[in-house]
Amino acid sequence: MRMKLRILATVCAAAMAPTLSSANELIVQDWSGYEDPGFIGAYIAAHGGPPKYSFFGEEEEAFQKLRSGFKVDVSHPCAQSVSKWREAGLIEPLDISRIARWDDVDVIKEKFKYDDGYYFLPTDWGSTALTYRTDLVDLDKMNSLQVFLDPEFEGRVSMQDSSDGAYALAYLATGVSDWSKATQEDFEKATAWLRKAHKNVLTYWTDGAQLNQLMTSGEVTVAWAWNETPTALKAEGIPVASNRDAVEGSSTWFCGYSNVVDGPNSEDLMYDFLNAWMEPESAAYIVSAWGYGHGNQTAMTALGKGALNNIGLGPVSTPVLAQLPMDTKLREQMIAEFEKIKAGF
Amino acid sequence: MLIKKPIDQDAIRGLSQISLPFLFAMVLLAAPMVLLLAMSFWTQDFLTLDKSFTLNNIREAWFEPIYQVLMMRSLKISLIVTFVTILLAYPAAYYMSFVAPNRRKPLLVFLITIPFWTSYLMRIFLWKVILGYNGVINSTLIELGFIEKPLEFILYNQFAVVLTLSHAWLPFAVLPIFVAMERMNRSYLEAAQDLGDSAFQSFIRITLPLTMPGVVAATLIVFVPTIGDYVTPKLVGGPDGLMIANMIEMQFKKANNAPLGAALALSAMFLVATVALIFVWLNRRYLKSEGAA
Repeated sequence: MRMKLRILATVCAAAMAPTLSSANELIVQDWSGYEDPGFIGAYIAAHGGPPKYSFFGEEEEAFQKLRSGFKVDVSHPCAQSVSKWREAGLIEPLDISRIARWDDVDVIKEKFKYDDGYYFLPTDWGSTALTYRTDLVDLDKMNSLQVFLDPEFEGRVSMQDSSDGAYALAYLATGVSDWSKATQEDFEKATAWLRKAHKNVLTYWTDGAQLNQLMTSGEVTVAWAWNETPTALKAEGIPVASNRDAVEGSSTWFCGYSNVVDGPNSEDLMYDFLNAWMEPESAAYIVSAWGYGHGNQTAMTALGKGALNNIGLGPVSTPVLAQLPMDTKLREQMIAEFEKIKAGF
Repeated sequence: MLIKKPIDQDAIRGLSQISLPFLFAMVLLAAPMVLLLAMSFWTQDFLTLDKSFTLNNIREAWFEPIYQVLMMRSLKISLIVTFVTILLAYPAAYYMSFVAPNRRKPLLVFLITIPFWTSYLMRIFLWKVILGYNGVINSTLIELGFIEKPLEFILYNQFAVVLTLSHAWLPFAVLPIFVAMERMNRSYLEAAQDLGDSAFQSFIRITLPLTMPGVVAATLIVFVPTIGDYVTPKLVGGPDGLMIANMIEMQFKKANNAPLGAALALSAMFLVATVALIFVWLNRRYLKSEGAA
């Protein structure tokens, strides 16, 4: 009996050990893959190791998890979700005096300024553009987004399985480059365009790796893709290019960190984490290793135009639709219509 | 005057034994179901739930063409998968039970379970490799000169969903059929042989009716979960292979419409129950006509 008790006590102690030791460890809710230590070198150097991560595959998953009471210190939503998370009371303003390089942060930060402060530290961004296999398509056609409607590419097209990504394309193709000013009529036009484009779609891609496989095999020849796709595939010797200078333009997305309310750990750790993200080394790393843009504007400029053009993030002369927060009612409609279109209605 | 009833020890033992499973079922099955039912009568406006009673969600789930199509498609895919699975599982189980020598049976049962050693996601991805545009099948056929261009109808459609699901659920169908066959009294077969039945006749008149409970169990085990499968259509389905579970997930998450999601989930459950009851009823009729029940 005594033996059994001793075993029980040992097992309990062993089970509790990780909980106790991690009592003061920052918990980051993040996209899977973002645990890359290159992003937060300064934090690791200062604290002897990375924070604890809890991963999600899409923002809604993260949102529902937080709503049902999951406790984290900081999370990584994308621009369009910030207002929703704020309205749900999940995030609180950042104390910008504690972010050392706040002045260097991309001006996009101003879009997330509410009455009580800034809710979002933009850290990573990229572009979405017309992308194609140069050996399998007629290059002359690749200067307009209307190729997505071309019957020649039936069953050869893939676009993002996200209402924001797909509607960014549809709005651009129907002549709207700022969706925060879109009207109901613009929305209907974009929806009609997307419905037509659906006929050509083989499948909607959910992550970059899936699209890379589809384009490598040549099954998909024309895609609405992140800039990481041509960057990654060219490195593998696959003839893929993107054209951000298509007449109708291209789109950009932003993600970043928000301060989650009632975080279980000290906010000092969170600010250390955010400051580590804003280091110029992190910016250089995300650009070279991931092909993404970084939220530290000054560091990005310092990298030079050449580096940015290489990964498809340099300046363009055609319209750019930034995937910024938009009217929630319109966004709800977008989500509902996109699902209908995907199901063939 | 009060008459004290003697305490029945058996009843107490019985109650104490059933109470834990009962509590388990109430907390983990009945309570969520009630919640789902209640939710399906509410309305959600962006983030807030309006708890006044409405039938709109149920109406939408049943009469909107998009949900009808998805529901029917799920039913169709699930029925085909069940049919294919049973058709393949029955001979396999028959071999294991009637043909293989006794000492080899444990090994065969063990072999049947081998696919479970690999994660289901891994198996789906392997199917993608096999069926893909430049996958195993296409490159073999091109190499052999049967086709010039890769076949495109084999991935990202309903066919791929049916194939992947059938492969995944096959072991679940083999085992109950095998068990029913093992339980069968073999002396009936000897008697039939003595009385002059051919092998085929005794199969139709004895083996099939007596193993039918196993087939029904296998049918339900495959049919009920596949209709609500969500990850397979998401990964190999393409645009026309989406099923009702994908829509339910969407309602709960992106669309911020948990009540409609709840109504769809309940409707799907209702559909499954109805079809399952039809199976059971057909089986009863068949067994009666065979004189086995």
